[in-house]
Amino acid sequence: MSDKDINYWRGFNELNSDPDFLKAKRDEFKDELPEGFADGLDTSKSSAVSRRTFLALMASSAALAATGCSDYREKGAIIPYNKKPEEITIGNPNFYASTCTACANACGILIKTREGRPIKIDGNPEHPVNKGKICATGQANIMNLYDPIRLKEPMLKGSGSFSSVNWLDADTKIIDELKKAVAAGKEIAVISHTVTSPTAKLLFEDFAKKYTTAKFYSYELTNDINKVNAFKKSFGKDGLPVIKWNEAKVILSLESDFLAKDGNFVEAQRLYTESRDVMKKNGEFNKLYVVEGGFSLTGANSDYRIKLRTDAIEEFAYALISALGENNSGIDELIKKYNLKREAVKSLVEDLKANKGEAFVTAGAKFPESTHIAVNKLNDLLATKVYSKENFASPVMPLTAKADIDALVGRMNAGGVGAVVHFDTNPVYHFSPDYKYADALKKVGLVVTFAEAHNETSELSNYVLPVNHNFESWGDHKPRTGVMSTQQPVIAPIYKTRQKEAAMLNWLAEKPEAYAENIYMNYIKANWEKSVYSVVSAKVDFKTFWTGAIHDGVIAFNEKFDDTFTFRPEGFNAPALKASTAAVLQLNRPNYLTDGRFANNGWLQELPNPITKSVWDNYASVSPTYAEQLGVKANDMVEITAGGKTVAAPVFVQPGMADGVVAIDLGFGRTNAGPIGNGVGVNTINFISKNATVSEWLYNDVKIAKAAGTYEVVSTQEHFPIDNERYNDIHLKREIIREGVFEEYKENPKFLKEEIGKVELFNIVPSYEFTTNKWAMSIDLNKCTGCNYCVAACNVENNIPVVGKEQVGKNREMMWMRIDRYYGGHSDDPRVSFQPMLCQHCDNAPCENVCPVAATNHSPDGLNQMAYNRCVGTRYCSNNCPYKVRRFNYFNFRDNLADAYYEKDSLSLMHNPEVTVRSRGVMEKCTFCVQRIMDERQHATEEKRDLNGDNVKTACQEACPTSAIVFGDLTKKDSDILKHRDHELGYHVLEEINVRPNVTYIAKLRNIKPEKKA
Amino acid sequence: MSTIDYTQELPTVEGKPSAQSIDDVISKPLDTKPGNLWKILITITSLMLLVGGGALGWTFYKGIGVWGNNNPVGWGFDIVNFVFWVGIGHAGTLISAVLFLLRQRWRTGIARFAEAMTIFAVMCAGIFPAIHTGRAWLDGYLFPYPNANNIWVNFTSPLLWDVFAVSTYFTVSAIFWYVGLMPDFATLRDRTTNTLKKNIYSILSLGWRHSSRHWQHYEKAYMILAGFATPLVLSVHTIVSFDFAVSVIPGWHTTIFPPYFVAGAVFSGFAMVQNVLIFVRQAFNLKHIITIGHLEKMNQVMLLVGTMVGYAYAMEFFVAWYSGNQFETFTFINRALGPYAWAYWTMVSCNVIFPQLFWIKKIRTTILPMFILGVVVNIGMWFERFVIIVTSLSRDYLPSSWGMYTPTIYDLGILMFSFGLFFTNVLLFVRALPAVSIAEVKAVVDGAQPSHKGGHH
Repeated sequence: MSDKDINYWRGFNELNSDPDFLKAKRDEFKDELPEGFADGLDTSKSSAVSRRTFLALMASSAALAATGCSDYREKGAIIPYNKKPEEITIGNPNFYASTCTACANACGILIKTREGRPIKIDGNPEHPVNKGKICATGQANIMNLYDPIRLKEPMLKGSGSFSSVNWLDADTKIIDELKKAVAAGKEIAVISHTVTSPTAKLLFEDFAKKYTTAKFYSYELTNDINKVNAFKKSFGKDGLPVIKWNEAKVILSLESDFLAKDGNFVEAQRLYTESRDVMKKNGEFNKLYVVEGGFSLTGANSDYRIKLRTDAIEEFAYALISALGENNSGIDELIKKYNLKREAVKSLVEDLKANKGEAFVTAGAKFPESTHIAVNKLNDLLATKVYSKENFASPVMPLTAKADIDALVGRMNAGGVGAVVHFDTNPVYHFSPDYKYADALKKVGLVVTFAEAHNETSELSNYVLPVNHNFESWGDHKPRTGVMSTQQPVIAPIYKTRQKEAAMLNWLAEKPEAYAENIYMNYIKANWEKSVYSVVSAKVDFKTFWTGAIHDGVIAFNEKFDDTFTFRPEGFNAPALKASTAAVLQLNRPNYLTDGRFANNGWLQELPNPITKSVWDNYASVSPTYAEQLGVKANDMVEITAGGKTVAAPVFVQPGMADGVVAIDLGFGRTNAGPIGNGVGVNTINFISKNATVSEWLYNDVKIAKAAGTYEVVSTQEHFPIDNERYNDIHLKREIIREGVFEEYKENPKFLKEEIGKVELFNIVPSYEFTTNKWAMSIDLNKCTGCNYCVAACNVENNIPVVGKEQVGKNREMMWMRIDRYYGGHSDDPRVSFQPMLCQHCDNAPCENVCPVAATNHSPDGLNQMAYNRCVGTRYCSNNCPYKVRRFNYFNFRDNLADAYYEKDSLSLMHNPEVTVRSRGVMEKCTFCVQRIMDERQHATEEKRDLNGDNVKTACQEACPTSAIVFGDLTKKDSDILKHRDHELGYHVLEEINVRPNVTYIAKLRNIKPEKKA
Repeated sequence: MSTIDYTQELPTVEGKPSAQSIDDVISKPLDTKPGNLWKILITITSLMLLVGGGALGWTFYKGIGVWGNNNPVGWGFDIVNFVFWVGIGHAGTLISAVLFLLRQRWRTGIARFAEAMTIFAVMCAGIFPAIHTGRAWLDGYLFPYPNANNIWVNFTSPLLWDVFAVSTYFTVSAIFWYVGLMPDFATLRDRTTNTLKKNIYSILSLGWRHSSRHWQHYEKAYMILAGFATPLVLSVHTIVSFDFAVSVIPGWHTTIFPPYFVAGAVFSGFAMVQNVLIFVRQAFNLKHIITIGHLEKMNQVMLLVGTMVGYAYAMEFFVAWYSGNQFETFTFINRALGPYAWAYWTMVSCNVIFPQLFWIKKIRTTILPMFILGVVVNIGMWFERFVIIVTSLSRDYLPSSWGMYTPTIYDLGILMFSFGLFFTNVLLFVRALPAVSIAEVKAVVDGAQPSHKGGHH
């Protein structure tokens, strides 16, 4: 007989189940127990575990738990979040508005932080300029925050080497030295990049009041200075007008890469594609003409691209001015001389004439002042109305003129400069070698360099002061009138760094021991109260106003400026720049490295050039026929001589460039950037001449000669002979890219569907019915400019590793998303098509049925998913993927580059905690940002509502500056995605193999004259 | 050269050796100390094994990134070698099982050896699927074992079918081989005077006493096993070909693959067996047992299947054109004219053009030319797998993802490892086990069997 069969009783009333007794027994501990705790508790129904068994189980579980938790693969201490900050909930991201300082555009950003760590940067949707979008560099800037190369404390140069020093000692010494300089009447030179902050300007002014010999200089490696000077001459205004690209019907770009490099290109991309929207009813398309010698992203997006050697473009502008006045002789002569496309040029002249007021001409920043003056004249003749009446981009502080920099160097050499402060600048690398700046520095008593990491300039400094990163700093920025953008820190300084403005403020206060983190914030606040709050006529008190401004990251207000643009003929005469007979060299801003300061950012080094698709290098691009003339092939070394200076660089054969033109990027060839950036590419700043005859970025007295040796430039796309019959237009023949002409589309909107015809595909097994949700994407190729911002966003969101040049050379890049670039037509004049390619999440996914372990499979909501833990890495799925979008971890890539650089501790803080970091030997690919879908699902569950697909935004979609990417739920009847999928221009790539992809592409329309079909 | 009398069968074993002399000559390598030639050879092969093993070890340490495989070309030397070795393994079963069922008496001289080579080749083949995965330590996931997570393998994957096909083939081949060895173990047991050897042979012979009862059971068992093994000859390479045929990649997605692969496998297998036998008959003085006639028959089979393979190559092109499918057409034009054209033309000349020399009897029956042709065929067949796998993957649907494949020294090292393993096994085999079936040879010596045909015996 066991225990449970015996009914033990304490008294007769229990034995007889007296109801009063039972009630009293149940309520015995009622007061001690929480309300309702014992309701419905019936001990007779509780399980028959005896006390002994219970205790035994408890003891063994405790023992098991104790052994199970002890030292199994020791991963370090786990620190409980026992003092939870008020605003942080573990697992929920916080977003903070701030401003990006990666370049002078000062776009508004929204920083996503998780548990106090910034992990992702997007544009600030409230910001009137960039409206929620941000370039690739801005997004990848997150890597610089956690870059292991960052300086962790101030450094003092002793005899030849650096040793660490504390801030107090450094500050005390520096203040002392500064005072000495002032006393000796020696100059204190502060060298900064473009100053976009009104408060920083005030700081400089205050600084100069105290240290009376202080002078401020600012420079940029690539800048608008010629454009600004020309505008000043033509219209008498300081600054440049804000262009409303969306209001221009005809745009002529004279080698201006306004979609990728010139001006605020993020804004330009958005506005430009607004008039290329096929979703708009009766929407008209703008028309883009590009005349260029190189091959820019803007050129690739143009409707008509006219190639012309760069130094003849000013003549072209003048000829165009005559043509608008019905004198075609100049144009005809140029057409004949350079064999220009007559049709295209005629069409350009006609379109400009027919669209007066709605036409706009722009020229690249690399052109000399004279070209810009001709352009101003053209715009005046066209009576263009695209200059904004609301805003005007007047600089907070103008850039220093070259002559002033020259004078400074002269004074340094003469011993007239007591101290130089590099305000987070690197002039030793950036200045033309003509200045011999490094030598001049040696003659300066005190050289202080503010820097995030050691660079070419810091090496030659007495003090190197580590500065806060963008995301650890306070600031305010005024990119144009009526817009003030605020910058706030989102993480406490990781190392012993200070904001450079705060450090300077500290020198001003002369009490280095009294330094506090918030001094610069208070300084900004005081300035805002005085000079901003009083201007904007806010209806709230200052504290609320300030908090609101910081919260929103931006304030927009009415600010009057003179919005009449009356052309003055000053400087307008005849072409000053005339084509030479020698070669032309153009030095271009790099796509993503800004001025080389992002050289140590692996993500940016590995982000393919949008046109050449090459990575990790710069190179001399020349056209195929010109390469033949020079007797060189791709990867041969050439020696380029311009202005008496020679640099050797590898050749890249770029179809579509004008003959006689060499294009090469700046910002490479750093020697002290860090393990990732050192020695990548060649330093073309060496070409820059301080007395350049044409402009700093354009030379037409160039000699090119084949040099010994070769150097391999790697790219993410294979180069095959596009003129060969087998490969010519292969993307069109295979119907990977479908295109049309805008006018034909207007006549017959269904032309594409008719062309495709009815595709009949059948399955031997019934298709799965998606009932709850079904995820799909659409990409509008009319809006896609090929800028790669989506790729950068995907890299950051999904913890994509950097693999390095060698591995890219082996076709092992890991980016989940890529922009395919196809050349159509002949290599002399290729027509470019871009196509973002990512996992198509096929309904009949061919990868799924071949995986032997079912590691890749389909979710009930239509996602093709990867179970990394299950994957053994047979790569069969990748082989069987018709789109080749799967990526395999051939190594532990973080461990494989530059002595495991990307496995260093600080970088692991950068990872998105919602996305697994993949190990060696597993396959991976685009997940449609499943973590974001799950996030929305959780919100829907919490809020007891249906999941709304429109709330899910993939990282690429969020980043796309032109909103070409739409994502959503196909089962929702009125969803945006369904409209795109059913659009008459919608098609799927490789439809006929019946894999049923879920990424719809909207066919690209070119706004050209319909060609007669053969 | 005298004319052949076609009314007479050619003797399977030349010179009517006695049973005793057959025992002696076949077991001689087992009874004597190895000579210098053998020592030199095994030094070379084990060095290959060791150095190649180093390449393999480095792969395990660093990851398969040390190979040349990349994003469009996910399979390179790893799977090329796998298919190559599985192909080599085909001759054994074909010779021992199919020819046995077809009562081809000439097989006796070469069957044992061919079977051993099958087993060694399948061992070599088995290495590659195991090491080609990114995380080889998780290969166990490929087997359908019950587990707490209730995760099952994917039965629609041809790679899983491979697991079963190859393991079944290996098991059946090994059993078949062992059963055939039993009477010989007994003979060896009876001959030897060494106690240790006697004990080992006693265990291995499983109590065989050469009784009629034993022979009766043996013959039946051998016949049944031959019946089992026969469909495997067709199935293994058919299933291996499914790895490609079931996919959607142009150049892989082809219904001709199963027969084409089987023919190719027999082709390469015969070439390898022929090559090795030439060495063995020379080294161990077995010229009267493994006769020129046997070798000639093998060469004839090679000529036949080689021509079949050539037909398949032609048919692939025809279908590519006839289908009107531009992807398919491109793939085949790309094979012949694209960046890997050199590999394609190596394959065609080695597999189709040079073997045509076997039409000449002189070449068929002379050792040196037939040996060279055997080597050529194996080079060609290796390249056939390279062409199919690498060229198809390097340029598939989207031109944007095209990319070339270049093997590294580690790829070559592991290929060398597999050859080292194969030949080391072969060399150990010829010293440890009778390379020719003693019992079977005795049975096919002229006059060993009662004859009803008359003639001179």
